[in-house]
Amino acid sequence: MRKLVSSVLATIGVLVSTSALAQPIKIGAPQPMTGPDAPFGDKFKKAYTMAREEINAAGGVNGRKLEILIEDHQAKNQLAATVAEKLITEEKVLVMTGGRGSGQAIEIASVCQRLKTPYLVDHPSADMITSKGFEWVFRNNPTGSIYPMAFSDFITNYPGAMPKSAAVVYDNTLFGKTIGGAVIKILKAKNVSVVADEAYPVNTLDFKPTMTKVKATNPDVVLLVAVATTDAILLTRHAKEMGLTPRAFVGFGGGFGVADFASQLGPLAENVFSSAAWSGNPNDPKTKAFYEKFHAKYAIWPHEHEVEGYSAIYILADALKRAKLTGDLDADREAIRKALLATDMTTVFGKVKFGNWTGPLGDAYTNQNVYSPGQSVMAQWKGGQLLNVWPKAFAETALVFPEPVKK
Amino acid sequence: METFAQSLVSGVLTGALYAMIGIGLTVVFGVMRIINLAHGEMVMLGMFGAFWSQKLWKLDPFVSILVWAPLMFVAGMLLYRLLLRKIIPGGELNTLLYTAGLSLLIANLALFAWTGDYRTISLSYGITPFRPLGIAIAVPLAVAFVLAILITVTLWLFLSRTDLGRAIRATSQNPEASVLMGIDVERVAMVTFGLGTALAGAAGVLLAPSLYLYPTVGELLIVKCFVIVVLGGLGSVPGAIAGGILLGVVESLGAVYVSGTYKDGIGFVLFLAVLLYRPSGLFGAGR
Amino acid sequence: MTRRLLPALLGVAVLVAIPLSIRNSFFLHVCILILMWTVLGAAWNVLGGFAGQVSFGHAALFAVGAYTTIILYLKGGLAPWWGIPLGGLAAALVSVPIGLLCFRLRGPYFALATLAVAEIVKLVALNWESVTAGSVGYLITTLPPVRLFGLEVNWEGKPPFFAAAAVLAVVALLTTGWLRNSRLGAYLVAIRENEDAAEAVGIDTVRAKVVTLALSAFLAGMGGGFYAFYFRYVDPDAVAGIGLSMEMVFIAVVGGLGTVGGPLIGAVFLTAVAELVRDRFQMGHLIFYGLFMMLVIRFMPEGIWGRVRRLTPGARTGG
Repeated sequence: MRKLVSSVLATIGVLVSTSALAQPIKIGAPQPMTGPDAPFGDKFKKAYTMAREEINAAGGVNGRKLEILIEDHQAKNQLAATVAEKLITEEKVLVMTGGRGSGQAIEIASVCQRLKTPYLVDHPSADMITSKGFEWVFRNNPTGSIYPMAFSDFITNYPGAMPKSAAVVYDNTLFGKTIGGAVIKILKAKNVSVVADEAYPVNTLDFKPTMTKVKATNPDVVLLVAVATTDAILLTRHAKEMGLTPRAFVGFGGGFGVADFASQLGPLAENVFSSAAWSGNPNDPKTKAFYEKFHAKYAIWPHEHEVEGYSAIYILADALKRAKLTGDLDADREAIRKALLATDMTTVFGKVKFGNWTGPLGDAYTNQNVYSPGQSVMAQWKGGQLLNVWPKAFAETALVFPEPVKK
Repeated sequence: METFAQSLVSGVLTGALYAMIGIGLTVVFGVMRIINLAHGEMVMLGMFGAFWSQKLWKLDPFVSILVWAPLMFVAGMLLYRLLLRKIIPGGELNTLLYTAGLSLLIANLALFAWTGDYRTISLSYGITPFRPLGIAIAVPLAVAFVLAILITVTLWLFLSRTDLGRAIRATSQNPEASVLMGIDVERVAMVTFGLGTALAGAAGVLLAPSLYLYPTVGELLIVKCFVIVVLGGLGSVPGAIAGGILLGVVESLGAVYVSGTYKDGIGFVLFLAVLLYRPSGLFGAGR
Repeated sequence: MTRRLLPALLGVAVLVAIPLSIRNSFFLHVCILILMWTVLGAAWNVLGGFAGQVSFGHAALFAVGAYTTIILYLKGGLAPWWGIPLGGLAAALVSVPIGLLCFRLRGPYFALATLAVAEIVKLVALNWESVTAGSVGYLITTLPPVRLFGLEVNWEGKPPFFAAAAVLAVVALLTTGWLRNSRLGAYLVAIRENEDAAEAVGIDTVRAKVVTLALSAFLAGMGGGFYAFYFRYVDPDAVAGIGLSMEMVFIAVVGGLGTVGGPLIGAVFLTAVAELVRDRFQMGHLIFYGLFMMLVIRFMPEGIWGRVRRLTPGARTGG
């Protein structure tokens, strides 16, 4: 009798688990779909959708389709924690990605760590996310303190690029302070005198006074950090209006890399550098093909965000393929975490392998992409287009330096 | 010295635009004793008006003020008639909370309609500044400055030379006596609210080319606006002008001579100090 | 008396029953949010509803509580059940000078002053890096192991947080209930209705208002402390933003100004609206907040709870 019961139970167990296996694999992705950051949420949605459609069309993951559940967090920390909680406990997603803002990503990471669900960070850059020892949190993209690495490489290795003096202007957000701090540290290590060190509140209406002050110090290069596109645009506009003529303007942060920057500034954008996380190596045929494909589908050229979002889904699909899924939620999440730890692949964003190492500002990273330091590039605005110029291996065009003096 | 002169000039120019925003709020307060928390959203609507005029009709943003100011005037009167009139007798706190709700509603509807994208207006003549005496002055800001002065003078003429204008000022000074004098307070209130809204819209149009716009920009502006009207004395038009320019200059000099992140703090500290020690405003013109 | 005791007992019974009977952790999470917002709405209501002093800066007090609690825990290892009341106490202390300054102003002037105070507090949080960690903020990664009645408290689960939030909400509502029947409460109503008259009959209005603000700050600060432990991450934008102040106002107004049960109703309503709107319409719930706030002030200035109470015959003295 007991044998019979147990065999019946076993059969039921098999039935249950096979039916669970036939269902799509759910990936949760909190993103700002409404509110001030909504344009970014939309970028990720497009990228995720494209990756999902491709993977599913090619037979899915071991025969199972992928399903990506995007939940709106409106760029609010509290809501990010709430929707992460909902995705994990209600929707029972196997793995999480997304986040967009660093504050929201920290909340999501904290929830995922607590509920033992793997979380692949695809864009948020705060060092803290992977430096708190969260073993359930992985990050493909470079951290904030890595953003200026290409710039550091440029001034060291490009003949005559080492500045005599530098002005650093950064916003007082987490992003701005991290990068401003990293830039100043790099400059000091190379004995460059920092003649102006100016922090400003985000969404400043008028940079003319700040720029007047900067101009008085007569810096050799001007380094601008802005998390907000509006600040990036006004910083550049007001710097040029005030008549600053350094050898180079170098921008750090998303705002210096978006199409708006050129369209709003027109000729003022010409020759401004942008040192940031890259959008993949444009000389890599696979990455190039992705740009074309994305453009054909959505009629916009993908940048940082789209490339990161698209790659994240491929990284997850790869891990899901290697993980032995049983239908038991806890065991499966653990299996995926193990699989992510063994990730070693190349996406359109670049190579990825997660490891524990120390960042440029001394942060002890956990599960941070070990190839991150090489995934920062310097690009330059030319005729309304942002083209990679440094390091040479990833360059799309020759760089203009120093900035030609007008009239 | 050049640094000082430069920051003083840009402070005055920006301050004049701040003053424009403040005047609208202060006029409404003077007559109706209400603080319109949705004032910043009205400025925002003006900014978007300028933006869409250029985008859709290829209209110069500064010219579009001829469309938007009258339109906002009518919108303001309607808003008063249909929504506010019933609320105001409920007391100033109810009105304050009501306009807070209105502000949330307008900003978030705009967010829904236009997304959170930040937009800027680029003008062909706005790129290179002119430099009298070596001081850089951005063209759009200079144009806005001149227009702001024109609008303010016109407003002043209206308030001092026309019957309706005098009625507004009388109500502002003494509502009870105005009723006794046979002034139709209801009508005065409606016109005043329209006027305040139109001024906010006009300020938005003027600001737009020098700034960027996004649906929640009002939040940023309204706080500055409070500082301005309190500095100048709530209800006082000359006070708002002085307060606006003062704030512009203080912010501008502060950014140069004090750390940039504390810049906004100076405004608030000044604001609190004035509220506490000179509630009638720095110039004693308001009440 | 029984009329008042019965709903209170019923409420406590529901609070005890929820975590015992419901295993759905997301549902519990929503309940915790409701309780947290009840505390915050009640905090605002004490000052705004009873004393008629509209504050647009309560986020500042919330922030003081949140920072105090999280700093005491991370730097001093002080457990949550000490940290949260201390956070409330810190907020109350900070509120005294704020009150002494701002209460020299009345009506809209007071509201504007609180707005400025909140902005200054946010700037301080952003710039005083040695204490607040600036924009980086503080993150709690682990909570202390605790045994209660011989059982290990599971910080990864919801029940301990539910219990904490429930206690805070009960404290907040009891405080409000006490206030309404106290002499101070009567003073406050007098101040709300006519401040000059209140002064004329010998009420020390400034003192009454400062004490009330401290009470309100204590509750808001404990709410902040709870937030720090539950969400585990505190940064200036999250805890000191003007949006947070506005949500507190919204709860109190929609629920019913100057009522005891109002904030609870407001919090349920707010959380439900936010969840529904997010789920169904994919648009910002703030559109609806704004609309509801206008509708409520226009058509039921006494709030939902106030309206319900008025419609229940003979219940005018209860609730």
